[in-house]
Amino acid sequence: MIRLDFETPLARFPLRIEADLRAPVTAVMGPSGAGKTSLLDAIAGLRSVASGRIAIDDDVLVDTAAGRRLPPQHRRVGYVPQDAGLFPHLTVRENVLFGARGASNEVGHAIDVLEIGSLGARYPASLSGGEKQRVALARALATRPRLLLLDEPLAALDVSLRDRIVPYLLRVRDEWATPMLYVTHNVGEALALAGEVLLLESGRVEAQGAPLALLATPGLSREARAGIENLLAGEIESHDAEGGVTRVRLAGGLVVSVSIAAERPVGSAVTVAIRAEDVLVATEPVRGLSARNVYEAVVRGIERGPGDAAVRCAIRPELPEWLARLTPAAVADLGLATGSRVWLAVKSHSVRVTSAPPARAGRGADVGTGGS
Amino acid sequence: MPTREEWAVVLFTLRVAALGTAMILPFGVAAAALLARRHGPGRTLLDTLFSLPLVLPPTAVGVVLLDAFARVSPLGRALAAAGIQIAFDWKGVVIATSVMSFPLLVRSALTAFEEVDPRLVGLARTLGCGPMQAFFRVTLPLAWRGVLAGTVLAFARALGEFGATVMLAGNIPGRTQTLALAIFHEAQLGHDDRARVLAGVTAVLAFAALWSAEIVGRARARRTA
Repeated sequence: MIRLDFETPLARFPLRIEADLRAPVTAVMGPSGAGKTSLLDAIAGLRSVASGRIAIDDDVLVDTAAGRRLPPQHRRVGYVPQDAGLFPHLTVRENVLFGARGASNEVGHAIDVLEIGSLGARYPASLSGGEKQRVALARALATRPRLLLLDEPLAALDVSLRDRIVPYLLRVRDEWATPMLYVTHNVGEALALAGEVLLLESGRVEAQGAPLALLATPGLSREARAGIENLLAGEIESHDAEGGVTRVRLAGGLVVSVSIAAERPVGSAVTVAIRAEDVLVATEPVRGLSARNVYEAVVRGIERGPGDAAVRCAIRPELPEWLARLTPAAVADLGLATGSRVWLAVKSHSVRVTSAPPARAGRGADVGTGGS
Repeated sequence: MPTREEWAVVLFTLRVAALGTAMILPFGVAAAALLARRHGPGRTLLDTLFSLPLVLPPTAVGVVLLDAFARVSPLGRALAAAGIQIAFDWKGVVIATSVMSFPLLVRSALTAFEEVDPRLVGLARTLGCGPMQAFFRVTLPLAWRGVLAGTVLAFARALGEFGATVMLAGNIPGRTQTLALAIFHEAQLGHDDRARVLAGVTAVLAFAALWSAEIVGRARARRTA
């Protein structure tokens, strides 16, 4: 557990953080200038703390009352900044080994998992954005950190590249079990990775809780609400080349039809992603609709924000909930409430298939609406 | 072509310039590194102080140095007691040229250090480096070209220093006479052709130093680009 209870002055307001973080991954969200990066800097030791305490489990990094301020090099906190922050005068290999400690096979493991083995002799200037982020992640992991700080690691990447990096982050989360603080503006990323969200506003903790509860938080911008995705683990069941669809069996036996993805072998593990706004909600059984995927479900709750609402739906009790994003008007017209019986429809073309993280310890299954 | 005596002057000049540059290198780099991390009035004051030799008449600097190292001054007396003479000795040439070229090294290195992204240095710290290690593994390698440029500038300046040298070390042929002093000496005696030959040698040396630094810097830039 990470215990934060400290204060430090920023340019426009003091950063005053009091929070206990228990989740394996905590997403740090909030408007620009709310103090997210300063929070990471304070934990890493790159910004001095005026007063208070910072501790990871029993290791006290800062305790101003006891006169303790561990210098950054002794904190064992890994930091991955937005621009990756690779050392331009060193090769990829030299970057990764820069702070490496412990057995070399562990460094090798990081290089394997992040698939950067072939980049070793290259200089950062010749890498793509996604490659840089993976190298920066490997460099941080090679120090065997007790805590990983990620400052919008995907913000500089375009959307298609993000989709390819998220699985690597999921792998890191599940393989290393190192707690993470993950600064992001993207609710989709937060839902995919984090068990808990810390929402900052003007240097203070505005809200702390499960990612889904965030939807009811007024501080969240419209842009942030967009891009919420249902991420579900499954495996390829069959291809129907003539019909143009591939069937994916999700954990729990549910089958989803997606646009043909013949390049993925039958039986291979995948993650399907469905944007919350692409889920149609009907209050009666759907017939004569072109959408290939229709599921009966029960409304578990409705999170209302300004201008929109997220409807949490359970298709089967044992499965992760699905999120559908509607306007408040649609919610009212349909008369939706907790307990309503609904039918959810999704076009095959609205479902994207990405490589799955290795489903270690069965955690891949609840990637999607994690937290709850 | 230079005569044997003139070659000796060339060699002497190269020696004192190299020795002086080597002497100020650690201090100049340290001063620049410390200044680069500070802001506020203290920094401006130090910055101005270090730059003073650039704008003062070299002879004025020479007077100050002569006072400091004279046999009657505390410093001069202490050195004399240890058997070291600075004034009117080759060591005086080294001191005078060092003081005059120090600001060029500091200014160039300071600019280079300020261009290093402080976030990279911070990341080095989170990767296990103490402040000194971070400096030698990240800051210095990234500012390397600016430090080299400053070193070469300082060396070239030392090759041509005249005013402070003549004040502190005098113009003693075979003992403290550098190229710059020899050129003046020959011209005074009416040996204009000898003065021209020595001026040509000085120009070639300075050109070679600046040019080789440029080539080394470019080769390095290509590798990491």
